[in-house]
Amino acid sequence: MEESPLHPFELHDLIPISLGGFDISVNKAVIMMWVVVALVTVLMVMAGSARRLVPGKLQNLGEILVDFIRAMILDTMGKDGMKFFPLIATLFLFILFCNWLGLIPGTYTVTSQIIVTGVFAGAVYTLSLMLGFALHGLRFLGILVPAGTPGWMLPLMIPIELISQLARPVSLAVRLFANMTAGHTILTVLFGMVVSLPFYVSWLPFAATLFVNGLETLLIAPIQAYIFTILTCVYLGDAITLHGHSEHAH
Amino acid sequence: MPIERGCAMPPSTDPFYAGLGQAVRIGTELLAALIVGGGLGWVLDTYIFASGQWGLVMGLVLGAAAGIRNAYRSAQRWQS
Repeated sequence: MEESPLHPFELHDLIPISLGGFDISVNKAVIMMWVVVALVTVLMVMAGSARRLVPGKLQNLGEILVDFIRAMILDTMGKDGMKFFPLIATLFLFILFCNWLGLIPGTYTVTSQIIVTGVFAGAVYTLSLMLGFALHGLRFLGILVPAGTPGWMLPLMIPIELISQLARPVSLAVRLFANMTAGHTILTVLFGMVVSLPFYVSWLPFAATLFVNGLETLLIAPIQAYIFTILTCVYLGDAITLHGHSEHAH
Repeated sequence: MPIERGCAMPPSTDPFYAGLGQAVRIGTELLAALIVGGGLGWVLDTYIFASGQWGLVMGLVLGAAAGIRNAYRSAQRWQS
């Protein structure tokens, strides 16, 4: 009867589709992404459609979210960063709602797949590199040389800076994936205990399940979405201002 | 702060959330740099120089340095 605590992360093709040799089958994760996209779109469009001076509940929620994302961008990138508002807002809302909807029993947490978080992180990092080279040309390579490095240190500092740059997308991807996977594994283990223990003790893991689920909903899910997006802002901001190596100068 | 009206405190301005965000960041920062450093060293060893284990060892050392540097950097950003 013992199932692996990782079984919620398994994916099975629901509608097998193969196109030109590529496997584009529809599985639970794909359906969850569609649901999230549809939900976020409907929610934000409805929130934005009323535009009353005294906002209703939904408009209020929309305004809090938009204000929050705007504050995040202005804090890290300044006014120039507002060009990236659509990208940042999409990322934030998508990740946030993936994290949240995945906590409903029976659904699937898309962000617990490292391929999903990895593609997001890779795309964000590639964008920041393209932006940096487009704005600054080869001077952008200066981010590999920390300000005020003596010449004889360069052979040591350049590899270190190169690794610390390349670690950025990895840390983005791993952080979100690991947090989501760990949280859901704990939930699975706890709920497995509820099922397998006799009723006079099973309330204990059940209470723990509820507690961990609440913790995930209120803290981990929003914080992980927040960290992913604010680091996106920071990386794009570094590429714009070329200050990745001396942001504490001010 | 550019927030004119906020019923709920947005996390980026709430020191509790900012601190919590910072705390969960730094651990992965170290890990990711180690993965990248070790991975690069291993690739150099295996596919480019056939240099035994030296690439992996140096990569891990440099990766550790880069990880500490990243953690230090994000702590500094937080302070300012």
